[in-house]
Amino acid sequence: MQCRDCRDALGPRLDGELPVDETREIDRHLAKCPACAREFGTLTETHRILSENLMQYRAPDVLKARIRSAVAGVPASREPVHAVPAWWRQVAAGLLIAIMSSGVTYVAVDRSVHGAVAADELLESHVRSLMPGHLTDVVSTEHHTVKPWFNGRVDVSPAVPNLDSAGFALVGGRADYVRGRVVPVVVYARRQHMINVYVWAAASADAAAPNDLSRNGYHFVTWRTGGIEYWAVSDLNAAELHMFVATFAAAR
Amino acid sequence: MTDGSLQRFERIVLPHLDDAYTLARYLLRDEHDAQDVVQEASLRALRYFESYSGGDARAWLLAIVRNCSRTWRKRHRFDDRTIPFDDAEEISTSEADSPDATAVHASEQARVQRAIDSLPDEFREVIVLREVQDLSYREIGDVVGVPIGTVMSRLARARKRLAALLEIDAREAS
Repeated sequence: MQCRDCRDALGPRLDGELPVDETREIDRHLAKCPACAREFGTLTETHRILSENLMQYRAPDVLKARIRSAVAGVPASREPVHAVPAWWRQVAAGLLIAIMSSGVTYVAVDRSVHGAVAADELLESHVRSLMPGHLTDVVSTEHHTVKPWFNGRVDVSPAVPNLDSAGFALVGGRADYVRGRVVPVVVYARRQHMINVYVWAAASADAAAPNDLSRNGYHFVTWRTGGIEYWAVSDLNAAELHMFVATFAAAR
Repeated sequence: MTDGSLQRFERIVLPHLDDAYTLARYLLRDEHDAQDVVQEASLRALRYFESYSGGDARAWLLAIVRNCSRTWRKRHRFDDRTIPFDDAEEISTSEADSPDATAVHASEQARVQRAIDSLPDEFREVIVLREVQDLSYREIGDVVGVPIGTVMSRLARARKRLAALLEIDAREAS
């Protein structure tokens, strides 16, 4: 074997890309040719230094969460969340019956319709927030940084509690346009799931206990306290989202 | 996309996000750009998932990541010059550091990282696919879109250049 042919095969020999017979032929040549052997030594050493020092990165959990959530959100594009004619007809029928039967029922149905419409808009906003670069305007795990950022951007000052000890990491905040106004959104993460907390001034001053809804695999928990209405939206399971809401509300 | 193929996508493609992110980190040299590109590539992979014919899902996803990275660099008028390899920086830091094993290892890692960063794209990608991600020549050819012969010659030239930058010589090593 010529040295020239041997040199070309050293890389494939190192990478285990040669058939057995060629491997044997190369090894025989290396045993009796010091120049090729030295070249192979350099190549082997280069490979060793590279594989020992080059890092295999781990995708950040926030990125995995964004991707999993965005992927989960794809079927929603097939059935647009706001185009619900069949559903609307049922509600309309329900409303009509409600109006005819009693005022109290009417109020209850009206409130659930209001909630459902908010949930549809929030679902769109939540899925949009998971697209690259949309999740946070201010990225910080420090609530003293996130809370003042909202000053002058939105008309309510949201609570931004630190919930690290409960396993909910603060990711940051953003101002989002929902239901015809700019609202603050506080963003938390649990494992690979993002939680968006939307905050706005409540139409009613009465407090309301957490109430939940589901849409396309996303869960919503809404509650009202101190004249502020909160909506937590996530693909996290309902039990853990309730735990989040309890911790969030208690930390205020 | 049906629920079944969505589940298949989650099972087959999503486990390779670490590899996808690693390739994007090396190609773009920026963690935020890498995150955006991996997300874009994943959504594109989902859109094209019907056309995925089986075979190595990792290589399939990495090919999409590579293409998205190239588009990203063009779109963002990425400065295509490579970062010059500068040994002086490393010497001053290693002198300042205490000579314990972790510090030596960290500075060696930084030196290797700088050598990789100084390679032209076409060399850097084959080195990362081979040395970090352990792909076969055929898989590298599929990801990069070149014949195996080209993979071989690029890899040989890239390693030769790295050996020179890192002053690796079998005479000293043995």
